[in-house]
Amino acid sequence: MIDVVTLQVLANHSRAASENMARTLFRTAHSAFVKETQDFTVMLLDPAGRTFAVPLDLGATWYPGLTYDRAIAMVEDYRPGDVAFTNDPYSGYLATHAPDTHLWKPIFHAGKIIAYAAGHIHNTDMGGAVPASLSRSLTEIYQEGLRFAPMKLLRDGVFDDQILSIMATNVRKPDLNIGDIKALVGALNTGERKVLAMVEKFGLAAFEDGLKGLLDYAEAQARSVLSDIPDGRYVFSDYADEDSIEGNPCRLHLTLTIDKDEAVLDFTGSDPQLASSLNVPTGGDPRHTLLLVGVYYVLSTLKPGILLNQGLTRPFTCIAPEGTVLNPQFPAAVGMRSLTCARLRSVIFGAFSQAVPERMPAAPAGNNCIVNVMTTDERRKRTIIAAVNPVVGGGGAMPHRDGTNGSGADAAYLKNTPIEITEAETPIQFVRYGLKPDSGGAGRWRGGLATEMAFKVFAPDSRITARNRDRSLFRPWGVLGGRAAGLSDMVVNPGEPHERRLGNTDIAVLQPGDVLSIHSAGGGGRGDPYDREPWRVALDVARGYIGEQAARDDYGVVIRNGLVDEAASQALRAQRAGGRTTAHFHFGPERDSFEQSWTMDAYEALTQILMALPVHWRFFVKTEIFAARRQGGGAAMPVGEAFEIIRRRFPQIPPITAPASSAR
Amino acid sequence: MSWKIGVDIGGTFIDFCALEQKTQRLVTLKVLTTPDDPGRELLAGIDRLAEREGIAPEAVDTFVHGTTVGINTVIQRKGARLAMITNRGFEDVVELARLRLPDMYSLFCSQPDPLISRDMIFGISGRMLADGGEGAPIDLSELPAIVEAARAKGAEGFVVALLHSYVAPAHERAVRSELRRLAPDLFAFASCDVWPVIREYERSVTTILNGYVHPRVARYVDGLEAALATRKVPARPLLTKSNGGLMNAAEGKTACVNMLLSGTASGVIGAAYLARQAGIKNVLTLDIGGTSADLALIIDGEPQFGTGEPVGEFPLYIPSVSVSSIGIGGGSIAQVDEFGVLKVGPQSAGSVPGPACYGRGGQDATITDAMAVLGHIGQLPMAYGQLTVDRERANAAVGLLAQRLGKSLEDTAESILRIAVSEMFVEVEKLVSRHGVDLADFTLMPFGGGGPMLGCFLAKEIGVSRIVAPRRPGVVSALGGLVADLKGDFIRTVLCPCDDEALAGLRGHLHDLTAEGEAWLRDGQGFEGSIRTVLSADMRYAGQSFEIEVALERDWIVRGDIAAIRRAYHHRHLSVYDFDDPAGAIEVVNLRLVAIGEGDRVSFAAVPQIPNVPEPALSVEIHLDGAARPVPLYRREALDAGACFSGPAIVAQEDTTLAIPFGFAAHVDGFLNIHLEVQEPTE
Repeated sequence: MIDVVTLQVLANHSRAASENMARTLFRTAHSAFVKETQDFTVMLLDPAGRTFAVPLDLGATWYPGLTYDRAIAMVEDYRPGDVAFTNDPYSGYLATHAPDTHLWKPIFHAGKIIAYAAGHIHNTDMGGAVPASLSRSLTEIYQEGLRFAPMKLLRDGVFDDQILSIMATNVRKPDLNIGDIKALVGALNTGERKVLAMVEKFGLAAFEDGLKGLLDYAEAQARSVLSDIPDGRYVFSDYADEDSIEGNPCRLHLTLTIDKDEAVLDFTGSDPQLASSLNVPTGGDPRHTLLLVGVYYVLSTLKPGILLNQGLTRPFTCIAPEGTVLNPQFPAAVGMRSLTCARLRSVIFGAFSQAVPERMPAAPAGNNCIVNVMTTDERRKRTIIAAVNPVVGGGGAMPHRDGTNGSGADAAYLKNTPIEITEAETPIQFVRYGLKPDSGGAGRWRGGLATEMAFKVFAPDSRITARNRDRSLFRPWGVLGGRAAGLSDMVVNPGEPHERRLGNTDIAVLQPGDVLSIHSAGGGGRGDPYDREPWRVALDVARGYIGEQAARDDYGVVIRNGLVDEAASQALRAQRAGGRTTAHFHFGPERDSFEQSWTMDAYEALTQILMALPVHWRFFVKTEIFAARRQGGGAAMPVGEAFEIIRRRFPQIPPITAPASSAR
Repeated sequence: MSWKIGVDIGGTFIDFCALEQKTQRLVTLKVLTTPDDPGRELLAGIDRLAEREGIAPEAVDTFVHGTTVGINTVIQRKGARLAMITNRGFEDVVELARLRLPDMYSLFCSQPDPLISRDMIFGISGRMLADGGEGAPIDLSELPAIVEAARAKGAEGFVVALLHSYVAPAHERAVRSELRRLAPDLFAFASCDVWPVIREYERSVTTILNGYVHPRVARYVDGLEAALATRKVPARPLLTKSNGGLMNAAEGKTACVNMLLSGTASGVIGAAYLARQAGIKNVLTLDIGGTSADLALIIDGEPQFGTGEPVGEFPLYIPSVSVSSIGIGGGSIAQVDEFGVLKVGPQSAGSVPGPACYGRGGQDATITDAMAVLGHIGQLPMAYGQLTVDRERANAAVGLLAQRLGKSLEDTAESILRIAVSEMFVEVEKLVSRHGVDLADFTLMPFGGGGPMLGCFLAKEIGVSRIVAPRRPGVVSALGGLVADLKGDFIRTVLCPCDDEALAGLRGHLHDLTAEGEAWLRDGQGFEGSIRTVLSADMRYAGQSFEIEVALERDWIVRGDIAAIRRAYHHRHLSVYDFDDPAGAIEVVNLRLVAIGEGDRVSFAAVPQIPNVPEPALSVEIHLDGAARPVPLYRREALDAGACFSGPAIVAQEDTTLAIPFGFAAHVDGFLNIHLEVQEPTE
């Protein structure tokens, strides 16, 4: 067993090595995806492919618990100087959509692999049906671009030109891809150098023991966090607005069981796999990193400064049945899994919120919307494609303060672009960029406000895509008496006679003079709004975070001339009808209304039917059952009856193993 | 006899460095700071210099002052109550900042509380466009209501930051003028005057910082001038700037933002001066105080500059000497966590209550206590007799941790040292990878109270084989002020393709910048010597969202040699990012000019080096590499030029202790710097 002091020193050296890799990549990469969005990761792996070190200040937040073992095993005969890679979501479940390209380099010492340097970049485009390779409308992985199963990209330090040539032929921005891949190889070389320096410094035996020690230390920290959480089963569902374009809601369902220092996350009851690209490819790995991203956030929140590596995942076991949205079968499309992952995180936050309500925030806005503009520069007579600001929205209200406005929680890694830079480069003019009043969930602590962005275009047929938009139908929830937040929306020409509300649509086509306004959802509130000090409410009004109307309606505080009318407020608060709510969550009218028709039992019945069907029937039948119940009066029509109607219309539906009659 | 005095205020001490140029006499002094009355220690120091060293206040012809009043105002949130005027619809730009938050794995991550409350930010109609045109006229008739509302909320001054004012300042200037007419008693700063550069958040936050610290800084500088007047000091005080240069006091009262990082900047300037003097080109500086360690690179004799350096919780977007800070200092507290793992910092005992061994109420084990346990410090009185080290208290504090770790007292102290050093290692690695340099070419220069104590240990960890320990490590910042020049930065956002069509515009901007720089030095600073200008541009490949600064020759623009400018950019890109794109379109984002008014060169003659083996003052027992060992202790003042010895050893002086472990050979140069070099292990 390694000495604890050496372990801490080794932890620092490992972090330094991974941060050094991140800086090398950040410095030498070509694309805005790496340089601006920071959609990349680098890490060091032990010989079994388990991540033992990640940078804390650069890159994305999704992969500290990643294991490369399956992909590593799919390549044979590693030699010094080799680098292997893959971007195929279905080969080893390492890459999770085609643009993400993972590379790993074995690090040899005395003829033996002692570690790997690894990482991923998000390529701007990998070919396929649409630019950037991502669209909700795609239905098969084949449409989402070129895929490489795990194979060697470099042998003995030399790139395989055939692979680069195949890539260059098939993608839309080959220079960016290849430039970024070379930068990542440079970062892996840095990692190799640093690891060998660590072996030199600590000795091989201590280094090897140290890797085990680091994973064990993270595991011990995770177990200690779990031990502080009351044992029990915590059940929660959340919904993505649509399971496809103009589709039905997509439910994610979690039963979290905490048993002493272990946890099981059972996602049984989540929707079947979808005929859109919102599927999350996990291969059913009980510790797949995408299933655990929410857990990393929870652990880092409950234990600040926790060591981030694969050891954290050991006390967790995930169950994601095959053929569901969280474990789709090949060749389901997966490109837009980011949207679903945002819901996946909020499901996990909701379950932990029930387990440790005093230590968890309300729901964050949960829509990491990325906005791209394609328009014509009339002066320079050319087409411009540009990324504009992400529209993300605020964090959920915390146990000790208001939610962060306009960013925060699980969206805090995104950056915006200065308005002045965008306007200088792209022929659009911003009308507004700011926080949306009254969008944060009311509460003793208010949810973070939504972001609102509006801009005008000047060229015909300007095409705006706003990827990952969600929460236009289901609000970020409030907790412990706090209220759900405002919904997201996208509106053309707001306030004008020819205003068009686009709801959850992620594409808008604009004509000269049109203004597009996009706003996110807000963060949920926490605690009873009537417990919020009137002076805070007055300050929120003065700051424009809430209006006087909301102060009165939501908080029971009467503001006159900017000041609290104490007497009127007391009177108002005293006469609240119904008293305090005892419900843990507040979801807002939209979800309440949806769940009147789709009760927990009804959805359970639906899931049972669907899971009993072959995978390729599931999405079809779900869609038909939703339609049948809509026509049949919603709650009035039992799910089983709806299914019988559909079965009569489509006798081709195969018989199901469990009797549908048992479903209500 | 005429004296130059440099003064630098730190957290615990105010450092004085006085120089008589003709005789090359250099006098240093430390006085404990009196936070409540910042002028008093200054007078105390001047009086003590007069009494002890015979420096008549009337003979002081140059007085250079570095002060932390600005940065402390931000950190302690004691600045002005500000109102801000910006475009309607964009009042939240300052709060949204650049979105990305630190601590991004925590669901509790949040923006720092803003320096201007949102209810003090007022939108106004009117809009300028990116091409400099007016999109909508400004309506000044909205201002009286805004002024009234701001006054009612207690505003002390205004900040005006409107979109595209870097290219179209007319609206901002109109608002500023109208504000001065409507409210002559309130100050008003416009972003186009403070730092006219593209990127609205960065320009706004810089302007806000300027306004926020302005009243306190102005009061402080007034007090400084008054204090000097009472002692009849004839020198008009100069202030050190974040860019490593100087400005006069009058400017400091309004261009306050320029001094926010002056303390760390002067340290690097002083270090660069000492390195140049010792003939060293590439230096990693390590300045350790009570709560933090500041690291900076000097490459080829030049300090590195950056923008976006942190001031408290806010980034500062004016050119500043680039310094990385980490929360490891002499007062950093060591703790054992619930898993039995030893952690050091970032919590610090600071100067109050301080390390346990100082006996001023501190109970927690700190790095200084670990050094006391090991015997590296506490063998002689420190800090001019103002501090004593009580080893028993250090043993008690470290002993508690030793029990929890199940280690001996000394092993625990060495462990604290190892972990502290590995924390610094992380920061050094970041710095090195950011600059893409190889530390094998660098010399470590430790200074500050704690730098020499930990420097050798860090050098071993990061693989640096050369160290230079300056003779007076406590006053490097104060010295930095003495050797600095008047220096002003000027910028124009031009944002144009780098082609022949851009030339006319570039020439015009170059002419304006030059005139501005000269006016600053001649009219603003009253400088009469010869002016040096340094020209550069922030450039990028079209489509990139960030720029790199490229040194330009004036002649390229004057003669119209665009090819030379392009070549310089490709070359710079290659060296910074490891690749270039010779066919790529290039854009010039900003043109920059630095106007420098050089002061008298400060120089010292080297003392002849006579090889000698110094006599230790004492033999002391220290704990090193797991065992107790007798080592020689040298007094710094007794080490003459040419002295040679080797580690392990301790060199004690009034303001610090240099700890030299095994494997280092030491020699003293003609400027009394101690050079340490890792010895090749003998076979």
